[in-house]
Amino acid sequence: MISIQNITKKFPSVTALDDVSLEIKEKEFFGLLGPNGAGKSTLMNLLAGYLDSDSGEILIDGKIISSNNLEVKKKIGLVPQSLALYEEITAQENMEIFGSLFGLEKSSLRYAIAEKLNMVGLFDRKKDKVQTFSGGMKRRLNLAASILHDPQIVLCDEPTVGIDPQSRNAIFDYLEKLNEAGKTIIYTTHYMEEAERLCSRVAIIDFGHIISMGTMQQLIDSLEFKQTITIDKNYETERHTSLFKSFGLLTDHENNYELMPTDGLKLSSFFTAMEESGISYSSINIKKPSLESLFLNLTGRSLRD
Amino acid sequence: MKTVWNLIKKEYLLFWNDKVSVSLTFLVPAVLIVLFGYIFGGSGNSASGIDLAFLNNSNSKIADKIESTLDTTKTFHIIKTYLNNEGKQVKFDTVSIKDFVKKGNASAALVVPEDAYSDTAFGLKLKFYYNPRNEMEMQIIQGLLQQTVMTQIPELFNSSLTRRSEDFLGKQKSKSFNKSIATLISKYFGVDTSKILKDGYFTFGVGDSTGNDTTSKGAAKFFSSIVKFDKEQLVGKDVNNPNVTRSIGGYAMMFLLFSITASGASLFEEKQSGVTLRILTSPVSRMHILWSKYLYNISLGVLQLFAMFLFGFLFFNIDIFSNFLNLFIVIISASAACTAFGMVLAAFSKTQAQARGLGTFLIITMSAIGGAWFPTFFLPSFIQTISKLTLVYWSMDGFMKVLWEGAGFMEILPIVGVLLLIAAIVNVASIWGFKRGDIF
Repeated sequence: MISIQNITKKFPSVTALDDVSLEIKEKEFFGLLGPNGAGKSTLMNLLAGYLDSDSGEILIDGKIISSNNLEVKKKIGLVPQSLALYEEITAQENMEIFGSLFGLEKSSLRYAIAEKLNMVGLFDRKKDKVQTFSGGMKRRLNLAASILHDPQIVLCDEPTVGIDPQSRNAIFDYLEKLNEAGKTIIYTTHYMEEAERLCSRVAIIDFGHIISMGTMQQLIDSLEFKQTITIDKNYETERHTSLFKSFGLLTDHENNYELMPTDGLKLSSFFTAMEESGISYSSINIKKPSLESLFLNLTGRSLRD
Repeated sequence: MKTVWNLIKKEYLLFWNDKVSVSLTFLVPAVLIVLFGYIFGGSGNSASGIDLAFLNNSNSKIADKIESTLDTTKTFHIIKTYLNNEGKQVKFDTVSIKDFVKKGNASAALVVPEDAYSDTAFGLKLKFYYNPRNEMEMQIIQGLLQQTVMTQIPELFNSSLTRRSEDFLGKQKSKSFNKSIATLISKYFGVDTSKILKDGYFTFGVGDSTGNDTTSKGAAKFFSSIVKFDKEQLVGKDVNNPNVTRSIGGYAMMFLLFSITASGASLFEEKQSGVTLRILTSPVSRMHILWSKYLYNISLGVLQLFAMFLFGFLFFNIDIFSNFLNLFIVIISASAACTAFGMVLAAFSKTQAQARGLGTFLIITMSAIGGAWFPTFFLPSFIQTISKLTLVYWSMDGFMKVLWEGAGFMEILPIVGVLLLIAAIVNVASIWGFKRGDIF
């Protein structure tokens, strides 16, 4: 059980977290969703004992986590956003270095290395230098090095940045297996698809505040609208956009407009208006609201802004 | 052409934003030009403040004149007393002055013995004791000392001889004698009589007994051959390959500083890659990292310095083993000070590039003013004072004491103390820097 109580963390130019409180249950796959600079990584660094908060405290099984509480740190494995590996040495040597810091004995360390490298499909490459690995392989090794000591809590700070879909899916599979094996996982991302696939509960964070939290369904249900409407960008005149805006909140994407309808909108009246304006039905799509829509609805900004 | 121009502009933009390149391009050469300018270009003073132990056992006027000349010269810093075992300053005697030089407290000593000069003798005897731990420095000291003595004593010889001539012949007859001799020379060798008398080319009894300048110029030429310097090398007579023994410490320190600085700067690399984050989220504290870096760098420094001295032994037969324990103590102290330097650079730099650039600048400057490249007495006195604040100066002093003078533990203790003090102070500064900086 992780209890984050009234955490505030300030940096010279910004307040990264402002009086944040939340609870994460054991064995939960918890998502922290927010745009860049929202405070996700700061919260992860506090949870991992890398940073200390200015006020408030974080308890893990009732014990305060801080940079100097080395015992509590053993319960945590952080998968950093960057590839925190020594490129000029082999995968096994990396694992030995990081495993030894957790006090693993030689024999159990050797066993753990073999097990984790097998899990991420890198056992056959254990003698190869990391610099010869592809981006996806490095990401997998980055994950393996973080769970070598079999932590109770795995913190994943955007662990799939910059990799191909295949490697991303592989990492998702490993994390799901870890969660099934009883590990608590906290996962930060600004990709809604990732949160939607992996997380049983999500907190949306922006400018250092938790702005919404719950299961995926609870969050979607909290929206005034039950569908979102996308319209292809074939109709970009002011007359058209004014018409769209009369039905709800309109956001401008690269290839289309997205409309979050006002409460009580009848689709029949919307389609009638479109037809009268000469807009083809094929240009219109009705979708289930996503986390992206939720974030837009809450903040008026895109997750990737 | 416009494309080329735009590409040139791009190069300059990148260059100006790379502070390391800018400093290496302009700042480092500028500092070196200033330093070398002081040494070779005459922009500053010539050699000054060289420690010279001095003992005058003679009652002669010549000895007094030499002493007063040395007292007023800026070239030498004359030392006439030493601190005895009871903590009192006492005047040198013939034994203690040699010990003073042997212990490295001064590079050389000049002794005017009791029988240096007498009215009945013809010539001057001086004793010169030296420790040629720096060959260039010693040659310059000898040259300057001889020059200083020579410019002063001929006139005294001259006045003395004039006085003796006048005593024997009477003042008038003495002048008449000199004039007659000059006339004879003029007659048979075709030289103007007035020129002989005026310029003092023929000097016996010419001029007055005050030893004025008109006679001293010619007299100097004549007497330069009869001042006898008894030289005795007190230290390093048995040192194998003295030139390499002298220089190895300076170069070893310079390269050690480069490798330690690079190692300290690697903290930035680890931070940037996220390894620091990974390490600090394991059961490791920041102090663990600092201690591990510090001890690693000291051990690396010890290995590197030992390897360099071992190469010196293998290729140049430098004797590193007869005083090995003390050499090892100096190596550890020097490594500790170097490591502290590398860590403080990392603590106060914002980026790895900044640490490397600043490191290069400081290493070259410290090596230059610390005596790794040339003797410090070449430098203006204020830089000589600054050089004593550098770890290069003290490390080199330690290596020379051990390798050149075969100094024991008690003799190197002050140097080791200074190096460890530098290490301690700089470490406190680096810990403070790490706490307020953002490398962690």
